[in-house]
Amino acid sequence: MSDPVLSIENLHKEFMLSHSGSASLKTMLLWWRKRRMEHLQVLRGISFEINKGECVALVGKNGAGKSSLLSLIARVYKPTSGTVTVSGRIAPLLELGAGFHPDLTGAENILFNGVILGLSRAEAKRRTSQIVDFAGIAHHIDAPVRTYSSGMLARLGFSIAVHVDADILIVDEVLAVGDFEFEKKCYEKLDQFQKSGGTTLFVSHDMDAVRKVADRCIWLKDGLIEMDGAVDTVLQQYLGTP
Amino acid sequence: MVRELRELWRFRELLVAMVDRELRIRYKNSFFGFFWSLLNPLITMTVMWAVFKFFLNNKTDSFSAYIFAAYLPYMFFQMALLDCSQSIISALPVIKKVYFPREILPLAAVLSNFIHFMLSLGVYFVFLLAVWLRHPQNSPFTITLVWVPVLIIIQLMLVTGLAFFVSALNTFYEDVKYMLGVGLYLLFFLSPIMYFSEQVRFSNSLKGAAADWVYVIYHLNPIAMLCTAYRKLMLAPVKPYVGDHQLPYLPMDWGLLGVTALVSLTLLVFGYNFFNSMKWKFVERP
Repeated sequence: MSDPVLSIENLHKEFMLSHSGSASLKTMLLWWRKRRMEHLQVLRGISFEINKGECVALVGKNGAGKSSLLSLIARVYKPTSGTVTVSGRIAPLLELGAGFHPDLTGAENILFNGVILGLSRAEAKRRTSQIVDFAGIAHHIDAPVRTYSSGMLARLGFSIAVHVDADILIVDEVLAVGDFEFEKKCYEKLDQFQKSGGTTLFVSHDMDAVRKVADRCIWLKDGLIEMDGAVDTVLQQYLGTP
Repeated sequence: MVRELRELWRFRELLVAMVDRELRIRYKNSFFGFFWSLLNPLITMTVMWAVFKFFLNNKTDSFSAYIFAAYLPYMFFQMALLDCSQSIISALPVIKKVYFPREILPLAAVLSNFIHFMLSLGVYFVFLLAVWLRHPQNSPFTITLVWVPVLIIIQLMLVTGLAFFVSALNTFYEDVKYMLGVGLYLLFFLSPIMYFSEQVRFSNSLKGAAADWVYVIYHLNPIAMLCTAYRKLMLAPVKPYVGDHQLPYLPMDWGLLGVTALVSLTLLVFGYNFFNSMKWKFVERP
C-alpha cells in the first residue's frame, strides 16, 4: 500500500515581507530600509506523505499556509529548509485563465498550456479535441479567449489540467466557478482520475466539496499540521474550533 | 550550470511553443499579420534609401546598403533586449503557479526577435540582389560573406547574455528598463550605423596615436564592433566619402572581433549564472 508519490519532510518556508512598497532601484539604494523587511514564517516544519491514488484536502484559515504549501509542491517556491520529493508529473490547475493569452484563440491557448503542463506539442495537438469536448466550448474554439465568459475560461482551464495525464493534480479553490452541471462533471472527472491512479491535492473552504471528494484531510494552522486523518474526524475538530 | 542546461533541454518543447506564441501574438490583431515582419524592414529600408540618396546626397557608392548592414543587426539587439526586460514580469501569473525553467522566458523573447532578424536579413539580400541586377558591373557581395554566420552566433551570445541580466534585474528593479531605453538610444549613436567606422579613425579632431586609441576603445563596445564587422564582411570594401573628401578603407580587424567574441561568451556564461541565482526569487518579489 505504501507507495508515496509525494513526501514532505520538515518543510519550512519563510518570506520577506517588505513594508517599503514596490521593488525599485530606490529600495536597493536606500539599503537601511532593509531593516523594515519582516521575516514571515509561513510554514514551520511540516512533514507528511501522500500515496498514489489518494485525494487529500487541505483546510485551514486564511494565512495558514495552504497555498504556500501547494506552491512549494508545484516547485514554484524553493523551500527555506526541508525537502519536497515528488515522483511523477504535477499539473496545477491555473486560476481563471492565468496561462491564457487574451488575443490567442482557444485552440492556440490549449496548445500552449498543454505544453506548459508537460505535454509535447504533438501530444497537446492530439488532445485538443478531447479538451474542447469536455469544456463544452467547441463553438468558440477559434475565437480569441478575451471573448470568453469567466465560466468558459474556468471550464477550459480545468479541462486542460485534467487531460495532461499528470500524476498529481493540484487544485487551489477554483472549482466553484462553473455552473452546477459543469461542477458535477468536474467531480466525476476527479473521481475517474483518482480511480485511474491519479493523486489529487486540493485547497478549499467549501466543506461540502471536501466531504464529497477527499478521502483524507490535512488541517493546517499557523504553518503547522494541526491534524491529519479521515475527513469526518478532522472536519469535526476543525469546524468545532472557533 | 550543466544541470540547469540539462533541465532546459528537457523543456525544449516549451521553448518552441513559447517562441511560436510570441510570433503569433505580435501581429494577431493586424490585417497583414506575419507579413509585417517583412513589410517593416522593407518600408524602413525604402525610406532610408530615399533620404540618403536624395536629401543627404552622400557620395559613397550604395551608401544605404552599408547603413542597413549595421542597422538590421542593431535593431535585433535593441528589440530583443527591450522585449526580454518585460518577459518575466508579464509572465508572473503563470510562473506563480507552474514550474518550468524560468530562463525560457527571456530566451523566447530573444529567439522570436532573432527570427524577425533573419527575415529582415532575407529582405535585405533581396534588396542587394535588386541593386546588383540594376548595376551588374559592381557586385555588392564578397567571399567574406561566409563569415556572417559566425557574426550571428557571436551576436546571439551577446544578446542572450545581456538578456539574462536585463530580465532578472528588471524583475526586481523596474528602473532597469528605463535605463535600458536610454542606453540603447545612446549606443545607437555610439555604434557605426549612420556613419562609417573609418570616420572614427580618420576624424579631423583626432590626430596620430590618439585616433588609434579612440578607434580601439570605440570597438571594445561589442555591438559597435559587430556593426563594423557585419558591414566589412557582408559587403564589398568601400572608401566612404565625408562631403567631397574620400577616406581610405580600413580592413577588418580580426583581433578586435576576437575580443568581442570573448566578451560575448563571458557575458553569456556570467549572465546565465546570474539569472539562475535569482530565478527562484522572481515569484517572491517584494
